[in-house]
Amino acid sequence: MDEFNSNLLGSSAPIGEILLAETAIRIELPPSLHGLAVDRYEALRKYIERDASPLAGLVRIFYPQGSMAIRATIRSRKREDGFDIDIVAELILALTMAPSAVLDLLFTAINGERGSLYHGKVERNTRCVTVHYEDGMHLDITPAVLIDENDPRRSVIFHAKAEEPPTRHQRLEMNSYGFVEWFNARTPIDLSFVEAYANKAYAFDHLRADAEFTPVPAHSSENGGKSATVVAMQLLKRNRNMKYAARRGRMPPSVMIAMFAGETAVPGNSISGALDAITGHMLSVLSKAQAEGRLVDVRNPRCPVDRFTDRWPENLAAQSVYIEDLKVFRGQLAAVMSDSLSLEEKRKLLALMFGEGPARAVVEDFAARIGESVRQGTRRIGAMGRVLPVAVAAPAVVRPAAAQPRGHTFYGSNWPGR
Amino acid sequence: MQQHWPGFGLGEETLDKAVWFGSLVGLERAYRVMIEYGLPTRAAPDEMFRRFPLVRVLSPELELRFDGPEEAPLPHVYFRGPDFTLSPLCLFDIEADEWSHDDLIALTTVPWAADWLACYEGWLATGRWLGGGRHARTPEEKAS
Repeated sequence: MDEFNSNLLGSSAPIGEILLAETAIRIELPPSLHGLAVDRYEALRKYIERDASPLAGLVRIFYPQGSMAIRATIRSRKREDGFDIDIVAELILALTMAPSAVLDLLFTAINGERGSLYHGKVERNTRCVTVHYEDGMHLDITPAVLIDENDPRRSVIFHAKAEEPPTRHQRLEMNSYGFVEWFNARTPIDLSFVEAYANKAYAFDHLRADAEFTPVPAHSSENGGKSATVVAMQLLKRNRNMKYAARRGRMPPSVMIAMFAGETAVPGNSISGALDAITGHMLSVLSKAQAEGRLVDVRNPRCPVDRFTDRWPENLAAQSVYIEDLKVFRGQLAAVMSDSLSLEEKRKLLALMFGEGPARAVVEDFAARIGESVRQGTRRIGAMGRVLPVAVAAPAVVRPAAAQPRGHTFYGSNWPGR
Repeated sequence: MQQHWPGFGLGEETLDKAVWFGSLVGLERAYRVMIEYGLPTRAAPDEMFRRFPLVRVLSPELELRFDGPEEAPLPHVYFRGPDFTLSPLCLFDIEADEWSHDDLIALTTVPWAADWLACYEGWLATGRWLGGGRHARTPEEKAS
């Protein structure tokens, strides 16, 4: 790809946009880990269907839901916390089966006998069964039963908190598969964005994969890539996770953010443009609800009884907290995109928005690229003197507007107070 | 200068000296800079601006970082007081003859100053000077 001709994420893109893209790459699930998750997902599906399983022959379909399905999975802030992969196991069971019995059955099928593959690594939760891996990854498998065979994937899931009496257990209608279809149809993939982003993501993952993980040749560009909207969503999730790490109570659900993101997606948008659109829309809807003294009500467009906001916000105070977060975020975003702040000021803002670790790494890498291209004399000088880094190995690019002055060696005197 | 850097204007001009003022972007933030250059004269041959063009950053004011891990308190300048933030930038190796009076300031000094500003922003953000370079040897170093 001709880096110079890519205004989207190339060296002549706004620095804020470059820093946002590289932050997203550092916090997302990299292609190698995505591949590992897919392998584990496949292994688990086969295990649940094994001959000796109580669910043998009873799994109709296994499909990813949530962030995994839209490739918006992010890493957790602490490595030991790993990340969630959400899967739906659509089971051929009676709709009338008790919620706790369905969850217990799935737990038994996965946990197996003592000494078996997943034994002791499985946890039965209120709506799903979780398999924990030693490297921190965990797979949440939500059992579901189809409601109507003529309306595929409209299903019920089961809510059964172990410490609550069966009278409080519930069946909840949902269609996460339909929502993913809706979301993916509304988040168009801009090919130039896909290429620019995938190149950055691959370069980063390639460096890291050898050290930590077995590389798997799955790559976002090979699977249709992602849109700026999805990347923006990942950044918003990271920001939300940071803000809520030290707070009590639930945090705004990812699926609600995805709904707002889907509603605002437009082709050809930048990451900063998508962030502005999503947060602006969310702020408007949440503020309206707050002003009217009610809780926001966001539902699955493919299944109106599937209420995404059934557990958050718990009350108006909780709603108000996120409204304030969004206001702060929008102010910080505008500042990161401003051309009047220094790189250091942008690093500090990114640290507040997405954490010190990625902010420092992104800015250090950016500064190193600039420094390297100046040192090697390979950089171009754009309008007003902006230094545009060009990789040493990159082919020569002819661009009259960006002069390439000859190399030079910085010099100078020593500090007299030394 | 006008052809390559239309944003730069002559602020002072005499028969043997010129001063330009203009805005220059290293990364994104614009800096107001001053370039002073004079023809060599017998009367004052050692005046620095007559040996090569001097670039000073007027605003935003350069930050002195006395606790910086590298190049404290300011990287690659000719330290000149009393206001060290106005120290001229050291943009090329004098001993290696990287600049001569035959060179166009617009094609050397100005883009090199842009390089300096970009690396300066990196230095502020990371504490490291990543643009390379060297320092003048002290008399003791020269003697050894």
